Amino acid sequence: MRWYHIDRFVEFVSGQRAVSIKTVSLTEDHIHDYWPGYPIFPSTLIVEGLAQTGGLLVGEMVGFERCVILAKVSRATFHELAVPGDRLTYTATLETQTPEGAIIKGTSHKDDILQAEINLVFGFIPERMEGVQQFYPADFLATMRKFGMFDVLQTPEGEPKLPPAFMLEAEKEALESGILGDEIAPPSA
Amino acid sequence: MQFSLIDHILELEEGSQITAIKTLSQTEEYLKDHFPLFPCMPGVLMVESLFQASAWLIRKSEDFAHSMVVLKEIRNLKCADFVVPGQSLVVTAEIIKQDDTSTTLKAQGVVEDRIAVSGRLLVERFNLADRHPARADTDDYLRIKLRRQYAILWPMATDSATEPTE
Amino acid sequence: MAPSSEEIYKTVNEILDETLVPDDPVKPESTLLGDLGAESIDFLDIMHQLEKSFDLSLNREDFYPDDILTDEQFVQEGRVTDAGVAALKERMPYADLSSFENDPSLKNFGDLLTVQDLCQMVVHKLALGGDAE
Repeated sequence: MRWYHIDRFVEFVSGQRAVSIKTVSLTEDHIHDYWPGYPIFPSTLIVEGLAQTGGLLVGEMVGFERCVILAKVSRATFHELAVPGDRLTYTATLETQTPEGAIIKGTSHKDDILQAEINLVFGFIPERMEGVQQFYPADFLATMRKFGMFDVLQTPEGEPKLPPAFMLEAEKEALESGILGDEIAPPSA
Repeated sequence: MQFSLIDHILELEEGSQITAIKTLSQTEEYLKDHFPLFPCMPGVLMVESLFQASAWLIRKSEDFAHSMVVLKEIRNLKCADFVVPGQSLVVTAEIIKQDDTSTTLKAQGVVEDRIAVSGRLLVERFNLADRHPARADTDDYLRIKLRRQYAILWPMATDSATEPTE
Repeated sequence: MAPSSEEIYKTVNEILDETLVPDDPVKPESTLLGDLGAESIDFLDIMHQLEKSFDLSLNREDFYPDDILTDEQFVQEGRVTDAGVAALKERMPYADLSSFENDPSLKNFGDLLTVQDLCQMVVHKLALGGDAE
């Protein structure tokens, strides 16, 4: 199982709100055992979808200069099961941010039906772990491109936003050096 | 079993509590993405371990009466520490209250004497026949498969739960 | 019109129930850390709920004045000096520091705040006009 639990961003307003979609499919290996005869999409992976949507919203807000980790699920309520063929729309809205972290209010919808409500607390990586890196910058940028994040990323005033300069620089270096991780994608036109 | 977030049940007291273990292996594919430079168990999979332990406790306690045992609510779930490859998460879940359809549990996962994850879960149980009459046959199929999965998770259990009942 | 102390206690109680889901009922003398199980990350949650419910602006130092508790002038060999206690009293007039004064060991500070102290903090902040100091 790859750790991608959203398929695409459809809206991304910096510092405010991000909306993504996730399609549930029988091609996901794990779903055949969960549960045998009646596959359902694990609710914890819906939490992860909102965590990825909200985590990138928080990360982008701080220019990806700090590592963001999921510290607490304050409350998650699942009103309906998600099953193969469902298209889930995840909406993450920033409630508050402090130097220590941020709070995201999240919802999952199946078409117009409220499927889940999930409130998350993110922390910036604690001081004792400063210096720990999660991703190579160029790889992380490639992942965000896969999500179509920069197709829709905009400022609150509606202006398109580019990736941070340090990531673009890292991507350029990786491409020019010929050392490409399997994640590096070419810059969009 | 795909997506089994516990490897083994260690103890089970019906109607009360369960202890189970999940060891994180370097070969788990998602570690490649979480994270490339610092592989560790995603927080939501720690939650899934808590839920799956809870679900096996509920199923065994009612002799697999309901085919579907699903997560309804998560409350105050904190991810306090990391689990890295080679480490084991020892999961315990304790029933706080229960009625005909729902169970509230307090659960936690411990790594090397540190609480890595803790919180409360509300778990719902039902039969497909109650909600989808056309799927009534699937209830029986699912029960048989779940009993076999349980036998894999706790091979020393030799009671009737490992055999399908009529 | 400012909320009554009963209304404040009720709302604070609801916020702590929601954010901490404590095993035991919340009482005015319950300590946030020891009795109710609050951890560092919970304070972000609690702070946000208090801000929303009472239209306040709060920060981490209202709960744990890092700047005082890491100042060599105020903390020596793991104990808060008289000057440090005075600084804490000035910063947190809503907290009951009487038992802490008897044994001002730094490690005792973490579990100081009670539910009653939190209610008094809300009263104090509302009287100041809602802004963080």
